[in-house]
Amino acid sequence: MSSGDNIVVLENVKVYFPIRKIFSVVGYVRAVDGVSLTIKKGEVLALVGESGSGKTTLGKAIIGLVRPTDGKIFFDGVNICELSEKELKQLRRRVGVIFQDPFSSLNPGFTIFRSVEEPLVVNKIGNKQERRERVLKALSDVKLNPPDFFASKYPHMLSGGQRQRAAIARAIISNPDFIVADEPVTMLDASIRVEILRLLREIQHKYGLTILYITHDMATAKYFADRIAIMYAGKIVELGPSRSVLENPHHPYTQSLIEAIPDPDPANRFRLREVILGEPPSLINPPQGCRFYPRCRFFMKGKCDVLEPPLYRSANERLVACYLYETGMSETNRPKHE
Amino acid sequence: MEDNVILDVKDLVLYYSTLRGTVKAVDGISFELKQGETLAIVGESGSGKSSTAQAIVRILPRNVAKYTGSIIFNGADIMKLDDEEFRKKVRVGGISMVFQGAMNSLNPVMRVEDQVAEPLLINMSYSKKEALTESIKALKLVGLSEMVGKRYPHELSGGMKQRVLIAMSLVTKPKVIILDEPTSALDVISQANIMNLLKKLKAEMKFSYIFITHDLGLASEIADRVAVMYAGKIIELGSSESVYLTPKHPYTQLLLNSVPTLRENRPPTSIPGEPPDLVNPPKGCSFHPRCPFAIKGKCDVEEPDIIEIRDGHQVKCWLFEGEKG
Repeated sequence: MSSGDNIVVLENVKVYFPIRKIFSVVGYVRAVDGVSLTIKKGEVLALVGESGSGKTTLGKAIIGLVRPTDGKIFFDGVNICELSEKELKQLRRRVGVIFQDPFSSLNPGFTIFRSVEEPLVVNKIGNKQERRERVLKALSDVKLNPPDFFASKYPHMLSGGQRQRAAIARAIISNPDFIVADEPVTMLDASIRVEILRLLREIQHKYGLTILYITHDMATAKYFADRIAIMYAGKIVELGPSRSVLENPHHPYTQSLIEAIPDPDPANRFRLREVILGEPPSLINPPQGCRFYPRCRFFMKGKCDVLEPPLYRSANERLVACYLYETGMSETNRPKHE
Repeated sequence: MEDNVILDVKDLVLYYSTLRGTVKAVDGISFELKQGETLAIVGESGSGKSSTAQAIVRILPRNVAKYTGSIIFNGADIMKLDDEEFRKKVRVGGISMVFQGAMNSLNPVMRVEDQVAEPLLINMSYSKKEALTESIKALKLVGLSEMVGKRYPHELSGGMKQRVLIAMSLVTKPKVIILDEPTSALDVISQANIMNLLKKLKAEMKFSYIFITHDLGLASEIADRVAVMYAGKIIELGSSESVYLTPKHPYTQLLLNSVPTLRENRPPTSIPGEPPDLVNPPKGCSFHPRCPFAIKGKCDVEEPDIIEIRDGHQVKCWLFEGEKG
């Protein structure tokens, strides 16, 4: 498998967590259930889904924090599922992670300097002097200026936005090629969110990074990501350029998600939203066929509930896992999103 | 006009004392709530919106340093009531509250219908049978079937639990319901469901809500009027139309621009700087260090009064000094 322009290639990745009762396994939670996806070098890909859709588990699998049950994960051409722990550790130098909660992801007993330096120490990169220079440079990259002032602080002395900046500095300190940002701005206030996302974007351009942006917030994905992948119950149901997907969603699930999100508009209070019924399915016994069919208004009996739909190409660069987009289906019969 | 005001808050102040000093969580705010109307209080974390709710229903932590002002409810100043009277006159059938993330505080070993009936049994001396009838009625009102009442909280989804809490808040037939971030723990689809429910209840039952949120989009789902809070103060207040469509205060304008929109293409912008420290708020207008229009020698010296510019649209900013009307 050659990597080419892709930094990450997933082939039918499954991550199942066993449910144990005493000594026997009585079932599996199918957190990720057959995901194929490529992440191009230098792009920001948003992985969007509701809680329990498997987006975080998929992110962890890509950086080798969770071993997939089945399937292949290629990172820059190397199948990471076949690597030993030691080789994985080598690979992780090339990967940075940013977590949701900047209040718990930084050690409260470490200064910002020590927290940011940690990846270099663990990976035995550079001597003391070089490490210091790199930490200060990373801090100035994330606009914690002056860097030596912030380096000596402890996390509790910083605001949420500043802590998340420090977390970004730590993620980029080892010059990674790829960053997984798992809900990096969810805990922050609206006025700070945009600034942190802009900063990530700036750093991404500067160093040619690839970012996997995991979020439940479609609206930030629209402005921050190049492409968007929508997950539902462990599967990717729609994939494409973010503006195109959000302005003209193809999958009925994506359409319902977008309908449910209000933009600030005083006219909203005079109308009820069309909301799909039901809850996401159990990941232990997911429905046969398309996982969304029990809630779908375009449900075709004898089709959607029998076989799982593959990803169809519904438009240029657009993929959607839905039988409505099976080839031969005429353009006019397609559901339009108002 | 005046007679349908159900809640009239004047100069409400709530300070906490901490090791670092006095936190001015709510610093002299005034607003009215009319019968059948929804007032949204929006603001970022630490702006004092939840403290305002707690001050109204008098659910306060121990470290309160100052708690003054007047809250006229049902024609009487409830700030003057002692705790026992407050419980009888306000908490029971007066003002009820749905707390943020409270769905995790349902009693796990008690049937849902019994939990919803509890306030009637304890505070309103209903018989067990009457209370259960009322409880089932309330559950039906929030769209849950009688069967759900027989279940235990762990058997319900997050959205259903949130409905149970709303049922609990309206079983005592309150005049005002305060909703503090009632959907913040839910996914967007469940959130839309709950908002639809609140809209229906408002239209059918003429409930008066105070809806507290940090999400301007969500607030626009239900608010007839909006109060924007910053650093313990209301900096802008007006009808939803006037606040969303013609925001006056620079903070409101910047905050609206920082919301990424799905339907329009307008890249969001950020607000420079950090929210202020409530122990040592900036002198003058508390927003001046972040304000692009700050007037040197004025905004950083003297605090502006909140003034009405037209039709109940109030703004607390020196830029509108001349437009008082």
